[in-house]
Amino acid sequence: MTRPSRVPFPWTLLLFWLRRTVFVWIAIALAMFLMQIAICGIVHDNQSVKAFLQVLDYFPSVVKIALGGKTLQVGNTPGLLAIGYQHPFLLFLLMLFAIGVPTGMLAGEVQRGTMELILSRPVKKLHVYICAGLLTITGMFGLVMMMFLGTTAGTRIYEFIDPVPLDLFFRLAINGGLLASAVGAVALLAASFFRSRAIAVGVTAGFLLVNYFVSVLSQLWPRMYFLFRFTMFNYVSAPKLWRGWPLDDMGVLAAVMVIAALAGAIIWQRRDLPL
Amino acid sequence: MPTLEVKSLTKRYGSTVAVDNVTFAIEPGEIFGYLGPNGSGKTTTIRCIMGLLRPTRGQVHVLGARVRPGRATEHARIGYLPGEFRLWKFPRGRRSLSLLAALGGRDRARKRRAELAERLDLDLNHRVGTLSKGNRQKVGVLFAFQHQPEVLVLDEPTSGLDPLLRQIVLDLIREAADAGAAVLLSSHDLSEVSAICGRAGILRQGKLVELAPIAQIVQQGRRRLRVWFADGTPVPAVIGEQFRDVQLVQRGPGLLDLAYHGSADPLLKWLAQFPVERIATPETSLEEAFMQYYQLDSAGAGVAPGPATSTGGL
Repeated sequence: MTRPSRVPFPWTLLLFWLRRTVFVWIAIALAMFLMQIAICGIVHDNQSVKAFLQVLDYFPSVVKIALGGKTLQVGNTPGLLAIGYQHPFLLFLLMLFAIGVPTGMLAGEVQRGTMELILSRPVKKLHVYICAGLLTITGMFGLVMMMFLGTTAGTRIYEFIDPVPLDLFFRLAINGGLLASAVGAVALLAASFFRSRAIAVGVTAGFLLVNYFVSVLSQLWPRMYFLFRFTMFNYVSAPKLWRGWPLDDMGVLAAVMVIAALAGAIIWQRRDLPL
Repeated sequence: MPTLEVKSLTKRYGSTVAVDNVTFAIEPGEIFGYLGPNGSGKTTTIRCIMGLLRPTRGQVHVLGARVRPGRATEHARIGYLPGEFRLWKFPRGRRSLSLLAALGGRDRARKRRAELAERLDLDLNHRVGTLSKGNRQKVGVLFAFQHQPEVLVLDEPTSGLDPLLRQIVLDLIREAADAGAAVLLSSHDLSEVSAICGRAGILRQGKLVELAPIAQIVQQGRRRLRVWFADGTPVPAVIGEQFRDVQLVQRGPGLLDLAYHGSADPLLKWLAQFPVERIATPETSLEEAFMQYYQLDSAGAGVAPGPATSTGGL
């Protein structure tokens, strides 16, 4: 029996997918970058903060909790700047990439019928999965770095009375990146399992929404607070980040990311291509 | 050593057996026809050969290496055309084909791709989404042939092509085989298969019910006898009891078209009692031979006189 030929890593596919996603990435990154600068523009002036908090009082308390809760007060500059890291719109943008990209690459190509062509060439199935995983995870960390750069640029553009602890925001960005990457890994898992992209997106979005609503609900309803630690958002904790690197929380998010990505890889490799 | 070898291949989906213990081999330079109606297991076999599906049992060897699902065994040397060829809509044909050729290495197919595009009269500068069905199929043919593969696995390669282009594609297949490539050709067009294939396998409900040279398959089929009776002679009824191996193909005014197995002697002796004007023995086609494998279940042996029937297409 002949020894099978060596199959190189499909850099061409990685590059092709990168080209297909780069414009979405740039658009999201730019929106996040500008959003951080805009938040710096509001937060550096106490009068603007007062006006902002007055406006916020008209909204249900759930909105205030979603934006940071008790930390939103005049003078608490880091707490106010952190709005930019937990604003629902920002989470939406992050998750748009985290869910859209891996499902588009795996389930999308399967659904389109092009995965059959890709895998009929000298490309290992696992390498295809790694390409999708690499682009998702690096893309997510790239986005959170753009957030951090936005905050850094904002603090250079606007003058703050108190110094802004940029190291805190760097930690917050990395921690947020891990959270988003964990969601990306769940999307990879769903994309490796379902034939239809819509189902893969729906399952991941459902997982994320349940997490989000349980986290908000548990903060609104003290009797339900015990549920908070079961949500992924529990592992991005401002007090812990303030003290230093929250290695335990980061470990949990990294573990979720690795387990979901590995499970997806095993399923993708083992199961028949859903053609 | 065969270029492509399928050994006891079985593929189940739950309780459904899509492919059941199929064994065949294709030698270098051979064009092998893989026949069967929709749902008989042709595409499943092909996808197992390509490593896209994991066989429940059995093995596939391509170019001497065992195919392991998802590991792209010798795929650089295989040309594949799926039954339903679909590409990305927005990139131009040239770019999509170049990308696919470059997967797993460098795109070394530019020259050959240009030659093939010219031969198939295909402009690769159009976006794939704007191409007609026939032109998309041409892109599929280019995809399969552009890297001059040693094994060609083609699922309905001429589907949607006009007769002229169909001939060009058949010529391409012949040329590849002449150059030493082993070709697995799955097709519904039996005239096409009989024109270019040396051997064929016929699948029925996942089982390989025939594996023989085309000439032998045709020979094994029913022979035909067409009889014209003299004017005014009533067309006699064929008695089922008497002729177990005779099937009525068509019965018209003054005409009796029969298909039979074995010796023609009893039939000719029976016909001798009528005023026969003319007799013809049309050559059996692969299509007719093929149809038998699918009529055995429903028709059984011997046919009593009845309304006019005819052998249809697939």
